[in-house]
Amino acid sequence: MAVNWLRKFASRSAATVFPVLGRQGEAALHRLALTPGIELVDSPRHASVLLVAGEIPADRFEPLRRVHDQLPHPFAVLWFRSEPWPHLEDVTRIDALDALPEALIAAHRELLLGRRDSASRILPDEPPNPWEGLGDFGQGGEGMMGGVPYGRPMAMNMMDDVRDGLTLDSLSFRLGPFYPGLPPGMAAEITLQGDLVQMWSTQLAPYPRALDPVFFAARERPVPIAELELARAHHHLRRLFSALRLAGLEGASLSALRLARELSPGSRLDGLRRRLVRSGFFRLSSLAGGALEAEQARQLGGPAARAAGLDDDLRSQDDGYRRLGFAPVTQSAGDTRARWQQLLAEIEQSLQLARRAERDKACTERMDSIETPRGPWLEQLPQDGSSLLDELMPGLEWGDALATVASLDVAAAERSLGEAPA
Amino acid sequence: MIVDQLILPLLMVLVTLSVGAYIVAVLDRLMAGAFGAPRGGNVWLAPLTRGAWLLTQHANATEAPDWRAWRLAPALYLALAAIGLAVMPWSASLVATDLVTSVVLWGSVEALATVVIFLHGWSANALLTLIGGYRYVALGLSYILISMFVLIGVALPAESLQFTQVVASQEGLWNVLRQPLGLPLFLIVGLGMTFWGPLDLADSTDLAGGTASEVSGPPRLVWDIARAAMLVAFSGVATTAFLGGWLGPWLPGPLWVIVKMLAVLSVLLLLGRWLPRLAPERCVTLMWVVLLPLSFLALVWAGAVALWE
Repeated sequence: MAVNWLRKFASRSAATVFPVLGRQGEAALHRLALTPGIELVDSPRHASVLLVAGEIPADRFEPLRRVHDQLPHPFAVLWFRSEPWPHLEDVTRIDALDALPEALIAAHRELLLGRRDSASRILPDEPPNPWEGLGDFGQGGEGMMGGVPYGRPMAMNMMDDVRDGLTLDSLSFRLGPFYPGLPPGMAAEITLQGDLVQMWSTQLAPYPRALDPVFFAARERPVPIAELELARAHHHLRRLFSALRLAGLEGASLSALRLARELSPGSRLDGLRRRLVRSGFFRLSSLAGGALEAEQARQLGGPAARAAGLDDDLRSQDDGYRRLGFAPVTQSAGDTRARWQQLLAEIEQSLQLARRAERDKACTERMDSIETPRGPWLEQLPQDGSSLLDELMPGLEWGDALATVASLDVAAAERSLGEAPA
Repeated sequence: MIVDQLILPLLMVLVTLSVGAYIVAVLDRLMAGAFGAPRGGNVWLAPLTRGAWLLTQHANATEAPDWRAWRLAPALYLALAAIGLAVMPWSASLVATDLVTSVVLWGSVEALATVVIFLHGWSANALLTLIGGYRYVALGLSYILISMFVLIGVALPAESLQFTQVVASQEGLWNVLRQPLGLPLFLIVGLGMTFWGPLDLADSTDLAGGTASEVSGPPRLVWDIARAAMLVAFSGVATTAFLGGWLGPWLPGPLWVIVKMLAVLSVLLLLGRWLPRLAPERCVTLMWVVLLPLSFLALVWAGAVALWE
């Protein structure tokens, strides 16, 4: 009786959702972040609903199985625009974005009221790394040295310190592809000393990020510059959302997302910029490091390159843009802080261009070269640049490292899945 | 005797602990709403329904955790908060345990918090929890000296290490004015000790919840309550040490304490929502290079003022 009452009461709590993102699953994330009654969580242990959003490539099935089994009982799984695995019982698939929040809240509620059974575990309940049985701690070595207790190498000092000479035990692990602090789909092998990154090796590249259809239209015909620039600002604001959330500025991150949702040529960035400056985001947050050298910046292109002082921007070659008085904005430092300053400046510039372009009814004129929010598109769309992280990460503290990853748009660009190829 | 010295004080601490933790949860939700979180649901019910949900959720296991330490750590942190609340006076006579060395006991609570939080991170035998634990040790070692200097500063004019005497010594002038550096420094210590907002290095978003990233169900509920309760205990000590505790006109003493505690809590929660998380290296540098010398200056100032008075 008491338990029933407790469950009934608990069913009124917010639905805690751990999102596992597949290809182009971010739309769901952005929608849910602004939905009352839903709490997006960073760890599967903190969730009652697992949301698989977007198609999961086969090489990420195994990690998905492991994340699936990490949710504490009772839990439900919802597949959004993703094909559920056939062997699972009682699966829910949703395809309409508008129906998703309600479905998640309903799943959480039904689970607690006992109207829905908890999802079953997929993997056998046994340690993934067998007990070696040898050594003081069964680690397979001698004494306290050597061996791999539970499959994890002993934290032994195998490398010189890269910071101050104080050598700490190194810790190697694999992170991703569903870690919320990394771009969706990305996985890396990492070695830390304390919280300093010693080695970083990208194992799975992030999923390509969908570009707004207007960029593809611009390759085929002249399109209104206002539309193109609003799409660019939209893309950048969504990236800002993830970075601010990571920095612990939840309120500001949601403001960025709201601004993206309601974007129009009349939108202003001043409020958000003021808020970031006053909160000390540029001074206090983990924004040191991650400086790109000229060659790396050129290789990556786009806002990251301009933040490093290169004034490459294909919009300069378009007469439509020239007539609007376009000139690329740049920074010089090329580090994480400069990249966020650059991004804010580019959002502001895009909004200004959109206002002017709307007034003058300006359209693009060149179709063979388009500056996408991710970088230049000449012969081919911007390609994946995640291998760059292997060079950039060593020597950074954990917070700086993740902030650097968030500030670099390394994923390749692709066409939106709902859109037919030209 | 048993009723006076055991049952009533225990009840007092338990009531403050639970009501205080609930108020922290409500206030933080109100602030989150003001800072742009989606509004929905009843802000007064939300902490309770969330608590009920955590009670119904299973407590998960990790691979080979140190079970005893993992389960004990949240309870120990809660116990430390309870100790803080036990030595905090509500009036000249209303105090759960009026120890003559209550200031020292609070100092030891601050030191032990570091041990308990590290234990929470380490015992889960998981990666992100461990990094959270390590980070906290760096932070804990940094704030503790600042706190000691500041607390000795308030003990000097009282010529006592007893919190009731510290309040009595503020009859003429509250320490917040007598030692202007004290409260701002102590608030930073508070953010560190409760790893809240800008100093939440242990349970941060870049570690997917840090030391708590592997905890679910009732142990997580205890951990959340303990964190909120520690904020309450800290605001109680800050009220006692700097804001004249129960002193004030018109209202009865305990009401003054509640008003002042709510003010301190609001400032801490506001800072938590307003500021980004500090970069750990910058945070440690700030503590050792700027705040520690400042706290020493605050102590010298406190000593000079005490001599002059």
